[in-house]
Amino acid sequence: MTGLSGALLALVTLTLVKATPLIYAALGGVLSERSGVVNIGLEGILTAGAFFAVVATAASGNPVVGVAAGVIAGALLAAILAFAATRLGVDQIVAGTGLNIVAIGGAAYGLVVVFGQPGASREVPNLGPAGETVLVILAFAIAAALWFALFRTPWGLHVRSCGENPRAAEIAGIDALRTRFWAVVIGGAIAALGGVYLSLAELDLYSDGMTAGRGYIALAAVIFGRWNPFGALGAALFFGFFAALQYSLQRAGIPSELMQALPYVAALVALTGFAGRVRAPAADGIPFEH
Amino acid sequence: MAEPALRLRGICKRFGAVNAVDGVDLDVFAGEIHALVGENGAGKSTLAAIAYGAVRPDAGTIEAGGTVGLVHQHFQLIERLRVWENILLGREPRAGLRIDRVRARAIVRELSERHGLAVDPDALVETLPIGIKQRIELLRELVREPAVLLLDEPTAALAPSEIDAFFLNVKALAARGTAVLIVTHKLAEVMGYSARVTVMRSGKLVARFATADTSADAIARAMVGGEVPALAARAPTQLAPRLTVRDLRSGAGAGALGGVTFDVAAGEIVGIAGIEGNGQTLLADAIAGVVPYTGEIALDGRPLPSGMGPAQRLESGIRIIPQDRRHEALVLDWNIVDNVALGRQRDPPLRSGAVIDRAVAQRYAADVIERFDVRPPNPQAIAGALSGGNQQKIVVGRALAGTPRLVVAYQPTRGIDIGAATLVGSRLIEARNAGAAVLLISFELDEIFALADRVYVMYAGRFAAEFARSAIDRGRIGALMAGG
Repeated sequence: MTGLSGALLALVTLTLVKATPLIYAALGGVLSERSGVVNIGLEGILTAGAFFAVVATAASGNPVVGVAAGVIAGALLAAILAFAATRLGVDQIVAGTGLNIVAIGGAAYGLVVVFGQPGASREVPNLGPAGETVLVILAFAIAAALWFALFRTPWGLHVRSCGENPRAAEIAGIDALRTRFWAVVIGGAIAALGGVYLSLAELDLYSDGMTAGRGYIALAAVIFGRWNPFGALGAALFFGFFAALQYSLQRAGIPSELMQALPYVAALVALTGFAGRVRAPAADGIPFEH
Repeated sequence: MAEPALRLRGICKRFGAVNAVDGVDLDVFAGEIHALVGENGAGKSTLAAIAYGAVRPDAGTIEAGGTVGLVHQHFQLIERLRVWENILLGREPRAGLRIDRVRARAIVRELSERHGLAVDPDALVETLPIGIKQRIELLRELVREPAVLLLDEPTAALAPSEIDAFFLNVKALAARGTAVLIVTHKLAEVMGYSARVTVMRSGKLVARFATADTSADAIARAMVGGEVPALAARAPTQLAPRLTVRDLRSGAGAGALGGVTFDVAAGEIVGIAGIEGNGQTLLADAIAGVVPYTGEIALDGRPLPSGMGPAQRLESGIRIIPQDRRHEALVLDWNIVDNVALGRQRDPPLRSGAVIDRAVAQRYAADVIERFDVRPPNPQAIAGALSGGNQQKIVVGRALAGTPRLVVAYQPTRGIDIGAATLVGSRLIEARNAGAAVLLISFELDEIFALADRVYVMYAGRFAAEFARSAIDRGRIGALMAGG
């Protein structure tokens, strides 16, 4: 009995650990897409968050400085996407994909420059169990705050109107490009916390490929969660659960290659099952020009 | 006379090589409904946009005695937001950080009552009929208490009964002291509701009238700069059975098609009169093969089963002029050549082996441009950049190319000017004269009366009555359309 409840508790804990980076990334994606910008660059933003959090921690010795650095890095990277997507009217998928390539390649190069070794950084002081708990709770708090902001404040109404019909928003005196820009930047800051969690809470270093496609899973969570912060939270927990289950079942001796596919299969099934019934913001992914 | 609420002097605006507006003076006074009319491309919408401040003129001055509001020709509503969110967007009442939703609803309710424009503040816009959406457009401007209200083709999307209701509201607004400028090409509305008329042609102001002292004919002549073109003559035709429809049913609920039986012969135009939403869309879609149905549809005695798709129907000679040219007929990002070729890509000589013969495509486009006087006459012009009238010419030109057996024309002259509408109507009559069967579905009685040989009145998914051209009774048809 204690064995079973112990295993359950372990599964719940592991679910939260696996879900937290997804929650942050998905919330960042929700905010960005609600304003009308598809953020394919979430993977790159997670990478930047994880990498710069470790770099700043290594330099300062203080992981809290690392958190701030990771968030700022994510926001800046998102600002590049936002600028390209709004002011330059670049195709958002192209810009986001470019962002991913730059971030992942840049971090790999940065490892050599900063730490003098490829593949992974040295270990740095991480946030510890208390800090990790704070980051997990913060993910839930940000989901609630984002829901309130999107659906109860004038700013949220403006963001949503830009995602649905930016021309109508402009007619109402809202600067659609500015609104989209800041939604993407703030979304990037939120998403970067997911990367920070990976490198400074779940682990204590940055290694190449550590984001492992979570940015894309988060995009699936945005859709599965119907572009709603609570929906995205639930979807991230759902995917986190399958990721956790994968670890538990691996220990039970089921072939690991098969089990590693589990979260992705879950994502596919969820999307194909729901895709027909959900609708993206009407102007999602469409550049707006005056 | 008092100071005008809106005073434009010497307004000029060029777009590239085109003088869109060329030295126009215009005064609109508080309390009047002023009509600004002209053909497509005459510059009237540009002038309205300049008066509103959305377009900066190259020269000239604009003076307004207060806020200027503009109701757009194409609705600018956010479909998935609520009515109050649309109306108060950008000016939400606040309570601390959040929107004061109680007060927001109250503001919308009060505004709606004050202007007699009933709306449910909490309704989702996408669930509302077009007439209500138009009210929301109007309320969104009225919330700013405009001294001048500009209405750009405000009734383009409205049914006849909605148009009357709309103008009652506009009249009430003017009576309370708002200066109203209506940009339109519908002369019935000009004659019915305006006090003064200003006519533009090719960017210039060419005539001003007091409505009471003029006639629709005089205004039309000023708009086109000469005599109004006449519709093509109806030649006597040999009627032969072509389309037979028996107990056709499709859909459920509002707008369903509840069992209609009729024939359209080769060489005749059959008009379906009715108010939007009485099953017309499903009737057209069933014949086009894009919705499932029960009952029988046959072309020249050959049954068209419900599962037969649009490609096979095209092949059997059915041509559709869809209701919504921008969304259902054209690919707006494509040029005229590709849009004209669309739908004919499977048939030689356009298809040559596995590839499209570009030379044939060019020739098809050139034919349509010539027969329909498309402007600019440039096959490479992007469809989305053309005026509505020219877009429609492409859609109709594509449908009438070759020898169509059946043409389903859904509102073929909706929202286009006299010149383009006359041309489209003439080409439909010519297709009829040449032996095509034409099914004309329209919400505008004038269009039906001008073109149809026979008329069915549609109400609640069924036909309420049939009239021969010689026995058309306008009043009776209007009453039947409303279910009377």
